[in-house]
Amino acid sequence: MSGDNYRSHYTFAMDFGTSDFKYGPITLGEKPRIVNNRGYFPDKSSVMYKAFEPTSDVIVGDDVPLYLQSAEDLSSRLIYPMRNGMIDKGDDQAWRVVSSLTSYSLDSFKPEPNNGFQGYYVVASLSSVSPRYMYERLLGLFQENNHGRIRAVTVIPQPFAVAIGHGVTTCVVIESGHGNSQVCPISKYPVRAAQVALNRGGGDANAITSEILKDTGYGDLANEEAVVRRVKENIGLVPGNLDNAIADAKKFPRKARAKYRVPGTRVEIDLEKDSWSRFLIGEYVFNPNHEIFESYFSRGMPRPKDVKMGDTTFRGMLDFGEAIIASVERCPVELQPMLYREVLLSGGNFSWIVPPKLQEIAVDAPTKVRLLLRDRGIKNVSVKMTSSPQFSVWHGCIIYGFAVPENYEWDWQRLEGWMRVSN
Amino acid sequence: MGAQQTPNADSNQAGLSFLVGGDNVHVMVLKTQDLAQRNSIIDTVLKLSSLRNSYQTVYLAAPRLLGATIDASIFRAHGIGLLFFDERRIHEAVAPQPLQTTRPQLTPTPAQDPGLVSELATLKSMYFEMERNLTQLRDDLRNLHEAPRNGGFAPQLSQPPQEVPREPVYAPHITQGGPLPSYFTNNPWLEVLSKRGRSENEPLAG
Repeated sequence: MSGDNYRSHYTFAMDFGTSDFKYGPITLGEKPRIVNNRGYFPDKSSVMYKAFEPTSDVIVGDDVPLYLQSAEDLSSRLIYPMRNGMIDKGDDQAWRVVSSLTSYSLDSFKPEPNNGFQGYYVVASLSSVSPRYMYERLLGLFQENNHGRIRAVTVIPQPFAVAIGHGVTTCVVIESGHGNSQVCPISKYPVRAAQVALNRGGGDANAITSEILKDTGYGDLANEEAVVRRVKENIGLVPGNLDNAIADAKKFPRKARAKYRVPGTRVEIDLEKDSWSRFLIGEYVFNPNHEIFESYFSRGMPRPKDVKMGDTTFRGMLDFGEAIIASVERCPVELQPMLYREVLLSGGNFSWIVPPKLQEIAVDAPTKVRLLLRDRGIKNVSVKMTSSPQFSVWHGCIIYGFAVPENYEWDWQRLEGWMRVSN
Repeated sequence: MGAQQTPNADSNQAGLSFLVGGDNVHVMVLKTQDLAQRNSIIDTVLKLSSLRNSYQTVYLAAPRLLGATIDASIFRAHGIGLLFFDERRIHEAVAPQPLQTTRPQLTPTPAQDPGLVSELATLKSMYFEMERNLTQLRDDLRNLHEAPRNGGFAPQLSQPPQEVPREPVYAPHITQGGPLPSYFTNNPWLEVLSKRGRSENEPLAG
């Protein structure tokens, strides 16, 4: 093991998720610190700006809510740089947010002077579909923002970090976030050539939830993103088989009834006789190809499209089963059975409830993926949720930073290793 | 008949009680004027039922007038005797069924399972064996501790102890870590990653 005493104190990990930024040194133990992965560009004429006079023109971290103003200017001033997992090369505003977040996180754990500290070993984690220019730009930011705080830095893809954090060296990781999902086989290294990216994530489940709310008479709530998300989380279900689930829910409407009261308000959503539609929310995430979704597309809900971002094509309508198979089949045949034996699901988009009285028709995410693979003839499969879905990327980064030898230098071909940061 | 009238245990209780042989017999009598009162028949029958625990035999005595309206089979089913009377005679329409004293059933002693007994015997012998080994180990350990004092074997250091280099002083807020976090335990990646840079066939980024 290469980890030394120095790195058992001064390894630092940063996970740039689509919604949250998780960061902190190894000494935090099991849980990193979390702030929203966002930055606010305040109106310099505002009272708050004049009162507090922040040193930076980008506010990040816990102070952001202090500066927020009207809802109208949020869209232009509040920037979530990695909403889709990627930042455009020329999106300077987004890169300024990332730069501020890295400084903010390192400043939060500033060691006292003259204690032997010679800089952190920083491991940052990005979406696996991040193009090379994102690596270049991020590593460049660390060089610029060093100020004696960093000794060496590296960037690893999030699915790779998930596999490390979970302790599995040969597996397929599916990381599903708000905007997209990535399928990445791992065999001691991330098999980058076999990655499959999907242009579908938690945001799409929100979209169909919004349509269902409109159809059931709650059109006034359908545009409030926070409410729609809560409704999705509380009434959305994943069916084992959509046709059977709908038939069962229509036959026994009381059993499947979907009812949710927004905490602290008088708002109550009751789908009543349309409670069967709660199964559409989960199905749409895993497989949007059922004919029932056509009626939503024809009424204006955007169909998930294939889009090209950087060098990667994000597939819109590929179901998760097909995506795993497409990814695994790009790997050597000898490796394929071993990859199917460990499929790891990571990310908030795989957290689905199964009410006890609906256990016969609703399933959890691993079961759904197993069923999708079984439908395509893949049977000897083990699908699991990561043991710590929220923090597994951060855990993986910490282990990587602790274990990889100091003399393993950064290589642009491999996209791995330590990049020395000069002070 | 050889019956002896006995006083009612409950003074509120209507009817007549007798001791016939060793059995307590109770008779509740419906009078003609009771027939005019609503619910009096059903009330009497229910009272009779409640007496089944106190008397071996219970009767309802009713005016013959009621004979046409009462279904005797219900009385038979519940073991209650039914007597009809008029000014001239008394007739036993349904013979009562003496109540069987219910006694708590004793749980039969489970038959001894020979397999279970032999398993217990094996476990017992294993326990004694383990206790013997433990005593032996304790003795060995005590002898080991005493050996150097008695001039026995003592391990010698091959080199004089070297001075341990001074650890850097860590900032107080990040020295709380102590042992490595739990996700390090049995994690095969520690071994895999520590070999980075040594392997000849490292894949390149795709």
